[in-house]
Order: sequence, then structure tokens, then C-alpha cells
Amino acid sequence: MGRPVAIIGSGQTYHGRRFDVTYPELVKEAVDALFEKTGISPDDIEGVVSGTMPSMMEGVALTHFYFAEVLRSVGKPIMKTETCGSTGISLAFTGYYWVASGMADLVLVVGSEKMNEGDSQATMTTVVEPFYQRYFIAGAPGVFSMQCQEWSTRFGIPEEKVREAATRITIDHHNDAFDNPYAHIKKRLTPEEVNNARIITYPIRLWDVCPNSDGACAMIFASEEMVKKYGLKPAWVKGVGYSGEEYWFGDSEKAIWQCAIDAAKQAYNMAGITNPRKELDVAEVYNPFTYQEMLYYECFGFCDFGEACDLVLKGVFSREGELPCDPSGGTLCTNPIGATGLNRVAEAALQVTGQAGDHQIPGAKLSLAHAMGGVDQYNGVMILGSKK
Amino acid sequence: MTNRVGIVEVAMTSGAETKDYFLDQVFKISKEVLDKSGITRDDVGTVISASSDVFHGGMSCANSYYWDAGAAFLKNGSRQDGESLFAFIYAVMRILTGNYDTALVLGVCKGSENPENDVLTHFFTDPFYQRQMGLNETIAAALQKREYMDRFGITEEQCAGVVVKNLKNALGNPYAHVKKKVDLDEVLASEVVMDPLKSMECAPKSEGIIAMVLAKEELAKKLTDKPVWFKGYGSSIDGFYLGDRDLLEGELPNAAKRAYDAAGIKDPRKEIDVAEVCEPYAFQEMLWCEDLGFCGRGEGGKLLESGATAADGDIPVNPSGGVLAMNPYVSRGLYRLAEGFLQIRGQAGERQLDKQVNTALAHSTHGFAGQCHAVAIIGS
Repeated sequence: MGRPVAIIGSGQTYHGRRFDVTYPELVKEAVDALFEKTGISPDDIEGVVSGTMPSMMEGVALTHFYFAEVLRSVGKPIMKTETCGSTGISLAFTGYYWVASGMADLVLVVGSEKMNEGDSQATMTTVVEPFYQRYFIAGAPGVFSMQCQEWSTRFGIPEEKVREAATRITIDHHNDAFDNPYAHIKKRLTPEEVNNARIITYPIRLWDVCPNSDGACAMIFASEEMVKKYGLKPAWVKGVGYSGEEYWFGDSEKAIWQCAIDAAKQAYNMAGITNPRKELDVAEVYNPFTYQEMLYYECFGFCDFGEACDLVLKGVFSREGELPCDPSGGTLCTNPIGATGLNRVAEAALQVTGQAGDHQIPGAKLSLAHAMGGVDQYNGVMILGSKK
Repeated sequence: MTNRVGIVEVAMTSGAETKDYFLDQVFKISKEVLDKSGITRDDVGTVISASSDVFHGGMSCANSYYWDAGAAFLKNGSRQDGESLFAFIYAVMRILTGNYDTALVLGVCKGSENPENDVLTHFFTDPFYQRQMGLNETIAAALQKREYMDRFGITEEQCAGVVVKNLKNALGNPYAHVKKKVDLDEVLASEVVMDPLKSMECAPKSEGIIAMVLAKEELAKKLTDKPVWFKGYGSSIDGFYLGDRDLLEGELPNAAKRAYDAAGIKDPRKEIDVAEVCEPYAFQEMLWCEDLGFCGRGEGGKLLESGATAADGDIPVNPSGGVLAMNPYVSRGLYRLAEGFLQIRGQAGERQLDKQVNTALAHSTHGFAGQCHAVAIIGS
């Protein structure tokens, strides 16, 4: 399927409330970090892919215009990819297809978000049309609480068990975040603190929800020739999958979630994966909400439907478990939306190249990166491997 | 590139603003292009659309809204934000990898649900410097036009001449939005909207939903007797701040060179049979013709006056009537490509050029004074 393509470097910013920099400066931080780390000259880049959330979030429309200089893109071919929350992974796909098609050998991909200068929940409410859905879908938590309820009801999972597993996930990830220098929220949480936190949208409580982060992520996709030329450790793209479904939230099934199942299937087929839990060494699942992470385990075939809570409580998906998920702390601890999906890819690439530092999963050779977007509508999965 | 990508069919709405329901329009056009191609939704490999949140009736994450109306339900797809020629090229890339045999490309912009274009282009500005000045695309174009006139002696009559030519062409185009026979005096007498730009030199705000089916070589040949082939593509972006740029030495020559190199074109004036150029402001057609290598620097006015760019000239530019006759901001690049496609197939109706058309150029631009350009070459 196309030419072999590898990620040969990434750069992330420190995440948080970055009032110390302007938005272009934030993008520059990631891009400069990437070039410094890889030693690649911006002059050698043949194409640039840029993306963010929609203009209402940015306060600026078509942000690639605004970022032209800091992306080092002036005089170069450009693409502006945007698919709502899944923008980050859609950016990675654009970079992948550009190189795999043979139309470029070295492509820079950059995603970014300065969420603390905008209003993310107001923006997400405008994703839904003004006539029907806008009145009852209040931002992301509204959608995700409905999905969570659908999932636990459908599989008859007792509320207490869902709570217990979600609490375990958030405590683990906020601990994991201490080992990721770029993570935003790092906190040692106690079960009492999590279980008694204020309700955002029932049954979702504060520590079940990702933060608003400012951040950017940059990455280079390279052809085989460029991998050889630069001699950098490659994370080979083994599989890509993406699927989208109905715009009307009430029309679709969100527990046995077809677009998530299909996205993973496409990527597994391409990568030749038949037993993901066994074959994958680490997964960076897009987990803006604790509950959703478990739902993904099931849709991605890490376990059977209705089984995720039990396995989480057994530690199957924790750092020392059979299939560690989100050792970076994931989206739950760091969420600059336009960059978040790309962060997942960057983390998955760091893992298979042995460069993840304190949160390295020893010997990881095959990893999964994922992102989700739209009105709970899109899912994208990328499989990366240390071998071609 | 080993295998080729062909355009199989195209379907599009006219530019006139309508009260038709947005999703019905997207559905109808997507269905029409699949029917024309003789394929069903199941045969579609991937769907790449173009739209822009700021040109989308107040809705964010534009493609969420029309994802299923646009034939993409449970398909692998993506979106280019801002300009539709980029969606075309992304679909070409996807087919070239071999991952997909077919692609549906959509350009979606429902002008009737948007405010005036410049209310929206104002949001291209950064919040600190440009926004305070009220900068928008028409102001940027006015600065560019003034510079063009000052540096190269381009005249008001020449600028008006572009309008007369393109609106005359539009009379033969059933998809055009502005259909009006105008003469030079009328254009020259139209109200000055942003000195030195006059109202008739500026494009309207239009509806524009357009769909194209692409297929890999073998399949394209099976689906149609007259596939039109992708030959080359180039894009380039300029710096953001107008004050940092020479508005007459922009990035289009770079974009064009990339497309010409890929298509093996050495003498564009001779080898290109028809060019569809994105001219939201009349003078830009002349400037872009220079950038595309149809004439020398500063000679765009003379090129127009010579009649070379008229429908019966040696390098017809905008036989569709161009963007001056129809301006669905995001979709306009695909509309340029569609006209090239129809001309090559000999299906351009009343406006079919009176010569053999083998190679067509489609150009699109968005951003202030042409910050970003894309060029695609297609051929028989």
C-alpha cells in the first residue's frame, strides 16, 4: 500500500496555560524543538500540513495563514486539514498519504491549540446545528455522559463498578503524567478525592474530564530514502484507519460504536494485526473522558464488550499490565485539541523508537495511536512499528 | 508516479443563492455524481471534502454536518479547510498510494447562509495588529491593485476589460451566478467600494456545492470513455503580514512551476489550451496570468487587450466566467477544475471552446492578496 513511510522525529511544547507566549510563538516552540532534535533543516522540508480546531475556537480563521512563518512554510506547498477533535490524527494521515503517494519525501505536520484564549465548550456547542441539537448538547461532557450511560446500561455494568474503574484510570493517568515532561495536569489523586469531586454532567465528575491545554506538536513524515539519509530512528507507519458516522447524535449507536470498530479494523488489516491485545505493546488511546477510554478498549478489540471495567480493575491496561494504555497520561491530562491526536501519534512513535524516557514501555515494538472527533462521530487509528 | 488518476464525472449546483436545505443540496449533488459515474455509494473508497468553518453558516467543524449527506457514512475520509483544490489533490494522493480505487471529492459552501464574504475574511487577520485596522480580503486586494497600477501602468480600463470578458463568457454558463451583459463604461462607472476597486470588479457571494469522482487508471477507463487525467499539481504559501510581502511578487510562480514540472510543461502559453484562474478581483486575473507564465511581468494588461485570453484567443482564460461570475469561496477551486474537465471532454455546451482542448489549468487562491495558491493541470 503505497511507499513505506516513517515518522523520524517529533517536537512537543510544554502544555498548560501558556500565557507566556502568543499563539504563533507556541507553534514555533514545537516546530523549533523538532528541527533542533532531528537536525533536519527547514529548507529540506517539501510540504507542510497544518491544522487546528475551527475558527470559533481560534479567534482566527484559516490559521495556516497566520502561522505561515512559524511553520517555516513560506514558499512551500501546504495543506490545511481539519476534522474537529480528530484533527490531530487526520493531520498525521495527511502527512502519511502525501509521502506514501510519492508526491513528497519529507513532510512537516503541525497541530496546535491555545485553548485558554478561547472557549472550548462554547465552540463545541456550535458544532451542532442551531435547530435541534444545539439546545440540548451543551459542550462535550453532555455528549460523553450520554454515551457513557448508553454503554453501561447496555452491558448491565453496575454504576459502582463503572465508577471504581474510572477512578482507577484517572488516578493511574495522573500519576503517569509525572513521567511525561510535556504533560499538563500532574496530580497524586486519592479515590476519595475522585469519587467526591463535583459532578460535571452526571455521572461524569471533575477528574473524569480532560483539561483545556495550550500546546502544539510537530512531526516529520519521511520516505525510506529520507530515513536512510538522516539516520534517525524511524517509527514506521504500519496501518491507518478512519471512519465517520451520522451527524445526528440520536441516530447512531455509541456503545457498539461502528466508526471506532471500523477505524481499528482498517488499521489492523493493513498492519496484519489479528489479536491486538497480544500483538500491540502499547496504545495511546484518545481519552478525554475516563469512561470513553474503556469503551475504546472494547471497540478496538482489546477485550470483549462489557468486559473493560473488570480488566481495568485487574490492571491489564496499566503501565505494568499486558497492554499499557496512555503511559503519557493521555488526553485526560493534556488536551490541546488541534494537537491532541498528533500528540498520541508522537507518543506512540516515541515508544517504538525507545525514546519515551521515564514513561517508556520497555521493548515496545508495535504501538497504536488514536483520536476522536465530530459530534462523537469520527475515529482514527494509526499503527506504528519499529520495523518496516 | 506509477499509476494515473482520472476524473470520471462532476456534478455541481449553480451559483445562485437558494433557500434549498443545505443537507439536501449536498446529498443531491453527491448522488448525482455517483449516478453519472455509474457507481453506488458502496463503491466509493474515500471521501475528501473541502469547506471552511468560517464560511459555514455559523457552524463549527464544518464536515461533521454534511458527513453522511455527502456519502461518507462509515467511510474513511478527511477534509481540507479553506480551499477545495486542496481536497482534490488530497484525494489524488490517496488513490496514488493504492489504498483506494475511487474517491469522492466535495466542495461545500452555501453562500446564502453566510454573511458578506468580507465579514468572514476579516477573521483571517491576527487579533493584535491587522484586526484593529479592519483589514479584509477586499482591502488587501485594493492595496495590491494600486501597486499593480503604479508599478506597471495597468489601467482602470484594462481591469474593467476583465469584467466585460468574463461576464460575457458567463452568459453561456448555466452554473454562473452573475449573468449580465456589461460594457466597459458600466464597469468603470460602478461605485468605488475600496479605492481603487469598483463594485463590478469584485466577485459576488455565491452558493457552490460541487462533487467529483476520481478513480485509478484502470477503473477510470472502465467507468467512462473519456477520463480526464491528473497531470500535475503545485501549491505555495506566502508570509502572513502584508507589509512584509511584495504583493506583486507572490507565490504563484512557485506553485505553477511545481505543477508544470510534474506535468512536463515547458511552455505554458503554448501547451495549455484553457486556463481557469481564480480572480475574485478583476485585476488579479491579469496578475495571475503573468505569474502563470502566459506573458511577461507587467504585461497582463496587454495580454488581455490582445484578445489572447478571450474565448477565441490562443490562451482562453475563464471561459466559465470565472469567479467574477460565481464566487462560492471555498468551492471555487473545484469549479475551476470542473470547467477544465468539461472543456476537455467537449461538454461545455454553449461556451465550449472552438478548438481541441487537451490540457487545462485550474488555479485557486485564498488569503489576502493571494497568500496561498494552488495549481492543478489535467489533460486528455
